[in-house]
Amino acid sequence: MLHKHKLLKSLCLMFITSLLLSANVKALEVRLLYVGPEDNSALKGVEQGIQEANLQGQFLNQKYLLENIDETTASQHQFGAYSAIFLNTKKELITKLATKLSDKAVFNLNSADDSLRYACIANLLHTIPSNKMKNDAVQQWKKKAPDSSAVAQAWHPDFLKFAARDLNKRYKKNFNVPMDDLAWSGWAAAKMTSDTVARLKSADPSKLLTFFKTELAFDGQKGINMNFRQTGQLRQPMLLIEDGKIVAEAPVRGVANPPTLDSLGIINCEK
Amino acid sequence: MKQLIGSLISAALLLILSTNFALAEQTGRIFVSNEKDDTISVIDGDSLKVEKTIEIGERPRGVGISPDGKELYVAVSEENKIRVVDTNTLEILRDFEAGSDPETFAVHPNGNVYVSNEDNAKASVFDPKTGAQIVEISVGLEPEGVAISPDGKRVIVTSESTNMLHVIRVPEHTIENNILVGSRPRAATFTKASNIAYATAEISGEVVKVNMDTAEILKKGSTGDSKSKPKDVLLSLDEKVIYVAGGRANAVKVMDADTLKIIKKIPVGKRVWGLAMTKDGSRLFTTDGVSGTVSVIDTGKNEVIKTIKVGSFPWGVVIND
Repeated sequence: MLHKHKLLKSLCLMFITSLLLSANVKALEVRLLYVGPEDNSALKGVEQGIQEANLQGQFLNQKYLLENIDETTASQHQFGAYSAIFLNTKKELITKLATKLSDKAVFNLNSADDSLRYACIANLLHTIPSNKMKNDAVQQWKKKAPDSSAVAQAWHPDFLKFAARDLNKRYKKNFNVPMDDLAWSGWAAAKMTSDTVARLKSADPSKLLTFFKTELAFDGQKGINMNFRQTGQLRQPMLLIEDGKIVAEAPVRGVANPPTLDSLGIINCEK
Repeated sequence: MKQLIGSLISAALLLILSTNFALAEQTGRIFVSNEKDDTISVIDGDSLKVEKTIEIGERPRGVGISPDGKELYVAVSEENKIRVVDTNTLEILRDFEAGSDPETFAVHPNGNVYVSNEDNAKASVFDPKTGAQIVEISVGLEPEGVAISPDGKRVIVTSESTNMLHVIRVPEHTIENNILVGSRPRAATFTKASNIAYATAEISGEVVKVNMDTAEILKKGSTGDSKSKPKDVLLSLDEKVIYVAGGRANAVKVMDADTLKIIKKIPVGKRVWGLAMTKDGSRLFTTDGVSGTVSVIDTGKNEVIKTIKVGSFPWGVVIND
């Protein structure tokens, strides 16, 4: 008797729940794909961004789903359903996939190779800084501190300014490791995707791509709004690190020429 | 006749009593939180000199005053607490747990405190008399600015990394609207009629004017050059202009409240964030974080009349008037 009562109760509950669910407007689903190794900070960064996207999504009725595949299975994979692709792989595969998937944004999360920027593949977007950006940042800093042996990075776990503190804190809490360049690059790609979906109220890949190329004003928690160059490179400030400590930010004030983010890296496409 | 005289006398007595009551409450002091040296600078309202520096606790940011003017509240973020100071004796009275990483807050006319908990995407409500948490509300990432409508019916919490104004109904404590604005919304303020709000977006360098009944963005205005990363925003007493703390533009922008066009830039110290205005609207105080100063603006002339050295990285400012 007791069991029957319980069963009836749970059936009633199920019925009510299903009614409620069907009454709700279906959430906008945004499917995204990561291609690359699983045990990697770029994937952790993407996951961080997706988690934040879903936090925002609960207020806008948007839901983000991330799938990840290994680069060895990438050539047979069906890409149609995804709003954007995040790549953490070799230069050759980056070029191949970006060329194949020309109607959607393909993010390069890992390769600093300058030739990928010179190539100016219209839908290939680099959130990771190029080698030339790093070199330019170091050269600027050396004009002020000639004996310095600083290296340039996109990010650093000790970075506190401009709410970098908050992002570092969230990431560390989730993964129990400090945020590095790859993780920032993955987070930035996922975060700008959800920012854009929120504004457009659409997950249409080509609409997202157009927005990235023409209207983006991304808050990467580095204190300045960011957008993409014609080369597909994300304009961004760099950090100069010496002995594990942040010693300066580039563009280096008073040295950078022009005194803007365009003093770092490749500006124009190769003819 | 006797009756008339009697009521006149009692009315006069009441007037004297209430005037005295009001005078006794308000010290005229200006309180400034210094984020990096864990202190509160107490500025005398008449001499405009720092009369005392209070050791308050780790990373003080948001400041506010109880409706009766007797208590100063300070969010000590690193301690996850709000500390309470007697505005008259300047003694620390008590503290209470204010959720994770309390950044800023606003005091409701009913005395409750609405807090943004920056690192866990929550807004929480406390009774500062008992320290009891009344409710916790899920909002977007990095909640920061909190503004309460003068009629007490709505609270705006800005979430910096989710780019939203979350509009919370009081007393229900349900979210009525989530309004997507520019990047990194930081602060908001209401008109006296409570139907319009202004909010700043730091990274996109914008001010938005929002109809609170329809959640519609009525107007957007740019705060100027790329260095201009607006934080606090306040209306003038006549509500004809807004004052916007311009961040690293090192200026307060005076903008037309209707068109959101910049009318004047008032140069102040470096990285200006906090703003507070006297009740009579005549003076505006700013916290200039990098300079370690408070600038005093005469709103009649819209000019700085005094610069006061305070602690390291002044953050919030509130007036006990």
